[in-house]
Amino acid sequence: MLAALAAGIHLQTVPSPTPHTIPGAGIFQSSYILSLAIWIPVAVAVVISVLPNPRGRFDTVIKQIAFFTNLGLMFILFIAYNQFSTFLPNVQYEEKIAWLPAIGAVYHLGVDGPGMVMLVLSGLIGIIAVLASQGVRERVRSYFALLLLAQACVTGAIAAHDLFVLVLFWSAATVPITLLILGWGGARREAAAWRLAAYWGAGSVALMLAVMGIYAATGGTSFDMDAVLKSPLAPRAEVIVGLGIFLAAATRLPLFPFHGWARDVYAEAPLGVVVLVASTGTRLGAYLVLRLLVAAEPDGARLLSPLMAGLAALTVIYGAAAALRTVDLRHAGAYLALVPGGVTALGLAALTPISLAGSVLGLFTGGLAAALIASAFTTISDRAQTRNLAVLSGVGPRMPKLAWLTVLAALGLLGVPLMATFTSNEMTFFGAFKTQPVGGFAVAAGLALTAVALAVVVQRVLFGAPNTDAPAVSDASLGETWYLGMLAGALLWVGIVPGGPKLPGTDQPLFDPGIANVFVADLPEIVAPYAGTSGP
Amino acid sequence: MKYAALVPEALVVAAAVALLLGARWRLPAYRRYRTRLPAVVAVVLLIALGVELWAGAAVATYFSGGLVLDRFALFVKAAALLAALVAIGAADWAAEDSPSISLAMPLLAVFGVMVAASAGDVVVLWAGLELAGVAGVATLALRRPDLGLRLLLLGTTASALMLLGLAYVYATAGTADLGGIRQALASSAPTLPLAIPVLLVVGALALRASFTPLQLAGPAGWQASPVSNGLLAGIVAAAALVAAIKITAAVGPVSGVFASYLEVISALLMLGGGAAALGVRSPRARAGLIAACQLGWILAGLATHYRVGTASAVFLLGAFVIAATAAPAVMGTLGTAEVALTGLGSLRPHRAAAIAIALLSLAGAPPFAGFFGEFAVGAALAQSRHLELLAVGLVGSTLSLIAAIGTVRVLYLQNPIEETRRGAPLPVWTRLSAAGAVALCALIAAYSLFASPILSLADQGAEGLGLR
Repeated sequence: MLAALAAGIHLQTVPSPTPHTIPGAGIFQSSYILSLAIWIPVAVAVVISVLPNPRGRFDTVIKQIAFFTNLGLMFILFIAYNQFSTFLPNVQYEEKIAWLPAIGAVYHLGVDGPGMVMLVLSGLIGIIAVLASQGVRERVRSYFALLLLAQACVTGAIAAHDLFVLVLFWSAATVPITLLILGWGGARREAAAWRLAAYWGAGSVALMLAVMGIYAATGGTSFDMDAVLKSPLAPRAEVIVGLGIFLAAATRLPLFPFHGWARDVYAEAPLGVVVLVASTGTRLGAYLVLRLLVAAEPDGARLLSPLMAGLAALTVIYGAAAALRTVDLRHAGAYLALVPGGVTALGLAALTPISLAGSVLGLFTGGLAAALIASAFTTISDRAQTRNLAVLSGVGPRMPKLAWLTVLAALGLLGVPLMATFTSNEMTFFGAFKTQPVGGFAVAAGLALTAVALAVVVQRVLFGAPNTDAPAVSDASLGETWYLGMLAGALLWVGIVPGGPKLPGTDQPLFDPGIANVFVADLPEIVAPYAGTSGP
Repeated sequence: MKYAALVPEALVVAAAVALLLGARWRLPAYRRYRTRLPAVVAVVLLIALGVELWAGAAVATYFSGGLVLDRFALFVKAAALLAALVAIGAADWAAEDSPSISLAMPLLAVFGVMVAASAGDVVVLWAGLELAGVAGVATLALRRPDLGLRLLLLGTTASALMLLGLAYVYATAGTADLGGIRQALASSAPTLPLAIPVLLVVGALALRASFTPLQLAGPAGWQASPVSNGLLAGIVAAAALVAAIKITAAVGPVSGVFASYLEVISALLMLGGGAAALGVRSPRARAGLIAACQLGWILAGLATHYRVGTASAVFLLGAFVIAATAAPAVMGTLGTAEVALTGLGSLRPHRAAAIAIALLSLAGAPPFAGFFGEFAVGAALAQSRHLELLAVGLVGSTLSLIAAIGTVRVLYLQNPIEETRRGAPLPVWTRLSAAGAVALCALIAAYSLFASPILSLADQGAEGLGLR
């Protein structure tokens, strides 16, 4: 089945001259669809922040505004996804307006297949993050304004097709997320927030230096990705720039030893922020490597690939080992959430068409899996009123919905069949064992250790002997069930029908053109420099 | 009509003199409208700005080349007028010791900046710089005569060094005219005898620009009145920066003699300002130190010695002078201690938003004005292969940003505290202060939104300085 799927993906890297018409195509047309996705949340955030809200009278209204804004955005993004021309191997929904002509900066947005996948993830996570934030009671106005700003920054970084725009949104994301943790985090929120600001700030410095390096090396006339990323760099410049990009990505993804912020942030941040950071926030790191290093600087990517594979392996092994040793459930979730990032990084390091395709799919699936495991463990600790693993035991029968969702999260993290992570992980390993066998083996061993860690934690927390001294336990609320269910459902949906549902007996797609069909658009161009390396 | 372009200067000086005389002679009209003086001055500044934008677009020369109204002058004068306008509008006038002097001195300082920006020779440049410096000393001495004296001594030292350096440059070039100096030095080699005076000038200007934000005036310097603090950290520093831009452009042909020195100063300011901002708790001190970091970015732009770098520095100077002047003024007395700002977001939303946006812009946080300026300077540094300076600047900006987030957190993410624990009364809400705070937010947003035409004007300004 996997081989057939991989072959199918490989075949689709050849542009098809006869695209299928998807029902609903053309229902909504806009030349500024990406700008809408970025600036609508910003506008709503500004409106929310100036809305009068005496004594929290309109807290519910503000939550509803945030929810329906995200629902509307998801609608827009789903239409963009639905109308995405999978047969065109180029950037779509382009917007190009001169911004700072004096230095060559252009407001240039556009998405290709991998970008579209990230946008869909961003839209989905927007809704889930708002649902996960329903428990916020204090300063509701500020919280949702900041959450919307953070989402806009992530969407902007995904859609950016100019290095100036990329740096702007990439760096801007740090501010609202730090403030969200500072304002609504747990007991150790100060440490968590400042660590995040320091690591992400350092990553922004590395990215800015890399961007300026590219700018200087390509003549210093333009930041437009179309121009600068297609200009060949000197080998030395390519490696230096590549190192900067890699460092920036490693602080976000995060990879060992640049993961110092992750444990505290996942353990202390409010739930909505955990969902946002664990999914799209961190996947931006891998997306950056794909976009600026793998696709643009093949020599630099080749030189850095052993380092990347090594760090990917260390990340997965460290995440699993630390989850085994910790006595804090939220810390365990944080450590385990590092694992998908490591697997995605391995696929990028392997630099084979199939592993790169696996990594692109992993942007979506890994983001969902990381968000699901971190938020499931957070919800359990909230519902059980403790995060101490010495106290938490056998709560499964008393929280059946959460138990089911946690088991699904564990399966999703491990990449078992029927879960979307299965496809992405297997494609990654297929490619990685060809070019990075040591790294591939180490990551596989790390995944085995992850399975052990998950088994130990899940067995103890959900199915162990009940602890009579533990605080009272309650099952997930309707809102919690919804957001966890949406994460798990998305993993299952893409795992079961990666190519989207079809009308019975035909190849005519139904409402979903299929992630597997969308993400391969423009992939041939990205993998072209590595086409001779290996194939499925 | 030729002299219409000098109307803004005349309006500013006339308003300052009228304020001082009105207060001295206690005129009935002055006493009757005393509470409305800030609004009146704001209107005068607004008219001056309008005239400047209308009449200043034409390039002209006055007083035998003593004053040159070019695009650089237009840009700097407009920025200084806007900075004074929003600072006076948003200030808490109940916290000022003497409204008339606190209003007159910023006007005189703005006049100094306008003179320096239009200066065609080094004498007029020096006069403008001194005028702005003296206005800063006078306003500081109102509340803290000891600090005023210290600032006067430091300023005098800087002036003496500068005069000495300018005298050597004059002796070498044989002219005091800035364009003439540039022409004369075009055929000179960068020798040590030339390096020493240029170093003296640049060093004196850097000292003058940075001694306020870097607390060389003393750790207690932040206890000056809010408007005085904004005046020193913003407009007086801008006067020194304007002089630095003009002099580095004039001695540009021998940039080798001061290039490394300028790079070291800018690196120290960027890194030192950012790191020190993390270590202080007083919001006003933090704003000053963050401003010092941005000041370092402006000097870094000058260190590139070519038009794009200088244009970017000029662009950033506009963002800097507005935010650095207005931030302490809009904080009012609450700026002395972090606890005083606690929960201001829900008590004085306009003022809190203005403080947050000004601080974030000074820290170079995207998408505010400072980010655009620092990015443009960064691009110029990359083009001129000053990547090590760029790296230092980025680290400094990151530290500044973290410090600014700390203050934003106090403004918005902490619940308001009791008046007794706050330690200072909340600023009085007036229509003018609310409008001033909103105008500051709008101005910084507009600076980002219209970055392209503003950068284009800055580029024309750099071209006007003779840079290519």
